Amino acid sequence: MEEIKKEMPKASPSGAVKKLKATAEASAYQKEWFQGLKARVEAGEDFGYLNADVPMEVLKAMDIPFVVNQWWAAICGAKRMTKKYFGLLRDAGYRDDLCSYCATAFAESLDPDDHAYDAEGKPLGPWGGLPDPTIAITRLTCDCQSKIFELFAKNHGADFYAMENTVARTFPLNWWDYATDKWEELYDKDRLDAAVEELKELIRYLEMKTGKMFDINKLQVVMDNINRQETWYGKIRDLIADSHPAPVTVVDTINAVMPAQWQRGSEWAADHAERLYYEIKELADRGDVAVPNEKYRLMWLGRGLWHDFPFYQNFEKKYGAVFVWSMYLAMGADAYRRYNVEADPLRALAARYIGMEDFLHMPPWNAQWFLQQAKRNEIDGVVYMVPENCMQAVEGSYFIKKTLEDAGIPVLAFNADPVDPRKWNRDTMTGLVEDFIENRVMKKEK
Amino acid sequence: MAIRECALKNPYFAKLFDVYRNRDAAALAFKAKGGKVLAKLGFDVPDELVLAAGLMPVQVYADPDKELVYTNKILEYAFDPMVRKQFEKMVDGTYKDLADYLVVSNSTDVLIRVFLYLRELIRSEPEMPVPPTAFIDWLFTRNRMHQERNELTINIFKAQLEDWTGKKITDEEIVDAAKICNENRAALRKIGELRHAEQVRVNGTEALVIIGSGFFMDKKEHTDLVNKLAEDAASWPVITGKRVFVTGSVHEDLKVYSMIEDAGAVVVAEDHDWGDRSYERDYNMDYPVVRAIVDRYMLRSFSSKKAFVSQRVETLNNSVAAAKADAVVFYTNIYEDSASWDYPSQKKSLDEQGIRNICFAKMQYPAQNNDGLADSIAEFFRG
Repeated sequence: MEEIKKEMPKASPSGAVKKLKATAEASAYQKEWFQGLKARVEAGEDFGYLNADVPMEVLKAMDIPFVVNQWWAAICGAKRMTKKYFGLLRDAGYRDDLCSYCATAFAESLDPDDHAYDAEGKPLGPWGGLPDPTIAITRLTCDCQSKIFELFAKNHGADFYAMENTVARTFPLNWWDYATDKWEELYDKDRLDAAVEELKELIRYLEMKTGKMFDINKLQVVMDNINRQETWYGKIRDLIADSHPAPVTVVDTINAVMPAQWQRGSEWAADHAERLYYEIKELADRGDVAVPNEKYRLMWLGRGLWHDFPFYQNFEKKYGAVFVWSMYLAMGADAYRRYNVEADPLRALAARYIGMEDFLHMPPWNAQWFLQQAKRNEIDGVVYMVPENCMQAVEGSYFIKKTLEDAGIPVLAFNADPVDPRKWNRDTMTGLVEDFIENRVMKKEK
Repeated sequence: MAIRECALKNPYFAKLFDVYRNRDAAALAFKAKGGKVLAKLGFDVPDELVLAAGLMPVQVYADPDKELVYTNKILEYAFDPMVRKQFEKMVDGTYKDLADYLVVSNSTDVLIRVFLYLRELIRSEPEMPVPPTAFIDWLFTRNRMHQERNELTINIFKAQLEDWTGKKITDEEIVDAAKICNENRAALRKIGELRHAEQVRVNGTEALVIIGSGFFMDKKEHTDLVNKLAEDAASWPVITGKRVFVTGSVHEDLKVYSMIEDAGAVVVAEDHDWGDRSYERDYNMDYPVVRAIVDRYMLRSFSSKKAFVSQRVETLNNSVAAAKADAVVFYTNIYEDSASWDYPSQKKSLDEQGIRNICFAKMQYPAQNNDGLADSIAEFFRG
């Protein structure tokens, strides 16, 4: 293992302080990867644009380049393109107050300057703009999403492909104890059967569209790589849970994990997860902690605050309140691993993708998991961003809040938007969280 | 109100109007005689199976005046206001008193969430007065695999009904129930013809009463009344005025239609579930029973929630043409957002055809809470 030199924490362009080499590496990798992807698309390869809950492993196994909608929306949000894009939506007759996460890329497709450059030769679109996809795939987990994806596909001249969604009839509360090894017992058998059939139809479509053959052996490799990657995330999650003070915060982990999560299935992503673990472990081993005066451990529930990452660090100096947990690391650890793949890799993949929405957005699965994680991480308070314009993310906030508070963990729930800074006031939100820390977290009996 | 004297004086219409205004009366009377009532949320719960099980189906509806004691605690603001009012009745004991069972179909994403919340309330707060609740998980995209899956889904629902009632549902019982449903649809189509024809005899407000009353009464009795009413209405005065098609949110009450018709126009058709869409497509007697149910509920015209934009554009164009509408009113309640993604493409298509249209989006519920709405509607039809 290469020795990791201690470096001073660096501030990202957004102002958030990140301390990990792995974060910088992931950031550099994804930019290089994206340029490579653009080159492949420009050379005439098919290019997929996928919603996050689409089984991207199939495209990975078939070596079809793709971009994930939520990742791209986060890039656009971080590049502060949202205001411009939602103006374009308005100009085209659409409402500009809906579905910000899912509509960002559609809005971008209305931008005539997406692939243009300014007078100094700088690209006007984020990272030079999104290349034209030839395939747009979403799942029907929301009434709006399929409509947006169809509009997006039309603007790019791409095929639109929709995959169905079913609702769980059985739901063991401790799903995380089943998901890795006993996933066949986790779901209704007919749901898994249907998802496998959906996968077969998707594969046939992709084979016809791209001329590439799907090879089950390659899917096996992809699944194995993902298991390796997510196992490292599990070790990181447990390491943070066991470390007081924590060696890293959510600013470090989200930025290190998410670029690699969208690359899951690749050797790079699995190796990166391993390097990330050892880098954090070394920090922990030598007592190099994120916030030396850590007094209160906070959990962030909801999507990442892509347009204002420094917000997470606002409460460290004043209160010793540290955001140590977000779903972005823990979801990979608990929800994405699927062992016993060999017998039927497609079925194992089905057992991964049909649960993604359920684990996060279906009561009681989400609430029970958040509670288990809060206890495991010795969380003192939960800050919960409830999206205000997204039915897909409506997830039973009442049950989540009640479950945590009944267990003695205070929760601050507020409405905001993960990618639209127009609906965010840093001062107001800081005041809200400060009040929460002072009046609920600090006064809580330990 | 736009209901005319000829309708109000008609005994069959008067009876239907009474049921429409007193929506729980028939169900309570049915229960008083020992019958069991099943409340439906969503418009994809097959009446054919509910009737075959010996239950009386009634539609869940909102009470605009109800205070949201539980709902404001439990539901997020992304739930549209009509659903919020419906939800309150499902958790405050209203439907526990009225119905023995509650069935939710996944007709919109919002209703899926409602079901998940009800299920979790039943599990985690069993003291809440929520009736036993089941869910129908249709797949609405149209392909062979999903049609096949829907047969499984309907068999699961059938088994649930059998479990609740303690008796097997036979194919013969389903066919008998399907005849009752088809006859009801046929009767409503006669009213539809009196709206869609060149000479309009029944206005939209009256039609809402005629159609909506059927959600709350014995279906055979409703069929009989509608058939008799259709005969009488054929000689009602012809209604002149701009022919209007209404799309978007469902209209559980008469307010918006009354505003349109008080402005001198006439609503000749609509594509929401409290209107024409409720009696589209028959149960096909030539198919095996479960397949026939799937065919009827899966393959109706595309709803504004469970369809792609291109499908909705085509559906609206076809419906507007069939109704010979001069104008289209888009009307959607606040937080009922999915149709907003269809609207610009639909508008463009209508504009290209020279069909006037107006959009009322993000509307408060009930409609009278929107200041100036009646004036805006009147202004549009004056223009």
